Amino acid sequence: MRKNICEEIRRELDELTLDETCSTTTIEHLRGCGACREFHEKQTKLRQIVGSLGTVSAPADFDFRLRARLANESGSVSHFSFLSSFMSGPVVRRGLVAAVLLLVLANVAFLLRTVVKHRMASEELAKQQRTAAQQSETAKSQETAPPQTQETPKHDDVAVIPTEQPQKRRTERPRHVASPSRRQLATLDFASTRAEVINGADPSYAFPIDASSVQYFKLSVDDGRGNAKTISVPTISFGSQRLMQNANQVAPKRVW
Amino acid sequence: MNFRNTMRAAIFVSIAFCYGIVTAQTPAPSPKKTAPPVRTWRAGDKPPAPQVVTIIHRLNGIKMFRLLARSQQQVQAISSLDFAFNLMDDVHTNVSAGLALDDGETIAAWLPEAEVEFGPVPVAAPAAPEAPYAPNVPNAAFPRMPNSFFDTPDITVIGADGRRLPAKYIGFDGVTGLSILRLTKKNALAAGAFKDEPVNTGEAVLLYRPEPVPGTRPFLRPKLYARMAAIEGRIQTVMPAPSGGVARFKVSAPKLSQANIGGVALNQSGETIGIVDGLEGSEASILPATLIKRAAQRVLEQQASVPRPWLGVKGEAITALKFDQIVNHGWQYKQAEALANNHRGIMLTSIVPGSPAALATLRAGDVILKVDDKDIQTAEDFTWWLDQAGPSNLVEFTILRPNRPVEEELNVKLSQMLEPSFSFNLRNPLSPPKGFSLLDQGIETIALRAPVATQLGTTAGLLVVYVDPVTAAFEAGLQPGDVIQSINGKSVSLFKLDPKPATYTFEVVRKKEKLVVTVPAKKK
Repeated sequence: MRKNICEEIRRELDELTLDETCSTTTIEHLRGCGACREFHEKQTKLRQIVGSLGTVSAPADFDFRLRARLANESGSVSHFSFLSSFMSGPVVRRGLVAAVLLLVLANVAFLLRTVVKHRMASEELAKQQRTAAQQSETAKSQETAPPQTQETPKHDDVAVIPTEQPQKRRTERPRHVASPSRRQLATLDFASTRAEVINGADPSYAFPIDASSVQYFKLSVDDGRGNAKTISVPTISFGSQRLMQNANQVAPKRVW
Repeated sequence: MNFRNTMRAAIFVSIAFCYGIVTAQTPAPSPKKTAPPVRTWRAGDKPPAPQVVTIIHRLNGIKMFRLLARSQQQVQAISSLDFAFNLMDDVHTNVSAGLALDDGETIAAWLPEAEVEFGPVPVAAPAAPEAPYAPNVPNAAFPRMPNSFFDTPDITVIGADGRRLPAKYIGFDGVTGLSILRLTKKNALAAGAFKDEPVNTGEAVLLYRPEPVPGTRPFLRPKLYARMAAIEGRIQTVMPAPSGGVARFKVSAPKLSQANIGGVALNQSGETIGIVDGLEGSEASILPATLIKRAAQRVLEQQASVPRPWLGVKGEAITALKFDQIVNHGWQYKQAEALANNHRGIMLTSIVPGSPAALATLRAGDVILKVDDKDIQTAEDFTWWLDQAGPSNLVEFTILRPNRPVEEELNVKLSQMLEPSFSFNLRNPLSPPKGFSLLDQGIETIALRAPVATQLGTTAGLLVVYVDPVTAAFEAGLQPGDVIQSINGKSVSLFKLDPKPATYTFEVVRKKEKLVVTVPAKKK
């Protein structure tokens, strides 16, 4: 409390000029506070020294040179002028420093977390690969085993789906194993809905469909009784599901 | 170092850290470099299933309006539309699987919107002697209806090796719902083998269907890439056809979705075993290869769409009905009990007025026990034997009627229809509305509210979405896409009844130009 009063008194003393006198409150405070009295004496001495100096006349072109210099420098610092004026306040300055420090700390923490996850995922992947290698070795040893182990149903023997290929793809694209949830958002796209390509061919084979001229079909209709609704049709659909809700079924049941 | 420099350094360090974190997320610890997402087919590449092709079916604005008008959406008028909408521009593209038959040039595909390429089929009502009134003479026999009356179906076939193959739409098979196409070049496809033998429960199958290649949606780049993918399933149930062979079989697979409908099923030897024609829970219903071949044969013989037989009834198998439901249709308790215990027949629950069933005096509550001496136990049996009888043919039903102890024989002349539901909710030709009806003149329309009409260069009117190609309106030059502004000088909003004039004068707007089309009134 006393500290706050001293601060206010010193601010007043700091703003005094040589020909001004202190307020009665300040005088009373100075009587009881040695530190403020010392501060006041120092300030008064400083003012007396400055006041004893003689006046110096400015050169004739001082005004012109000052303006010219300001004009030259204004272009180079213009984009910082707002920032510097904004930062001039002590509270804002402290706040900004704190915010920047917090941001840097948060970034460091996030980076550390990512690196740790990255390492864990790599270790997990390596572990899986080791397990897969062990399994394949086991499978190989089973293949070379006596013939009683080959008694499997006939339709499994003629399978055209090469079981090695999907496994190989899984190791090629370890998205489900190694990706943290944040990365899955970036690669989500149609992964959740598309069919698993298991036909043995390279799934990347594709053909273009020119959909550039397709316009969006969205319109409002009314049923003549004041009921309005909006109908929207996708520009492209895959498969043979019908477009319109309640459209005529091509093969209705129990109707002959 | 002053404060400003400190702040600059701090900001720089912070940005550098952020950049570091972002770039640190991108690489995955993959032992191998991943393949590029898209690679197109090159000469010499061998597709795994050469008989599975991709069909691209495009619909323009007018066809989408036709689909809308024929759906059960209860659409009275279009009240707003995208400003840049153009009737003749593409609106929707469907990518589905197709099956190349063993001749190497015929393609069978379950196109979901095949009905937009056709008009409603006039019902040929038979002239039964006891009919209460003489039915209308049909406008035209179905096979005469051309498939390309106004605009040919916009269909592209892409072979399994990525080649684009020109094809012609031949027709629609009403029995199976398949569309049949024919490649213009002979032997353009090296078709795979068909498995005609019965399939076995537990057998592994591959269900092929096209899918978009990830990361190539239209908003990312103008061209979208697709590829053929397959999922593995197993045959769970085989449903035998009443006349022998397989009627359908069901396959369960872990990742079935609506997108699998229309997909092609192959066995593990690469032989075609069917096409997915529906989903029931977690199982796909497969139309077997034999029936696909028969459908193609029917359409190719006619070189046009082939309807299915139409009786004009709704019903349910006795085995699927509750006792109360039987009693509610006029059956006494003892008779109902005997009927339920017999496990035979189809009980008719409703009859379409004027239909072949109505003309043959069939009534709700009647139970059909036999078709041409073949016992009926399930709804599938009844469908099968009607389909075997064929459209416009005479069949003999053995029926039981409520409160009559004896079975009766009844001859019924079947009619024909692409599908029973293909009446499109628009018109029932056997009970035309009183007064003037555009539908009665073979013209399908949809009303446009003022803002939409303005976009098409008129103030108000009816957008023509279909004109029956065998009507006077078609011959007079009325076209889909025309907007009818007035009829006989009266605004379409005011025109309701007319004392049967000799001609109708339509004032239409076509491509923002006014035209007058005079159509002789259809005589009844």
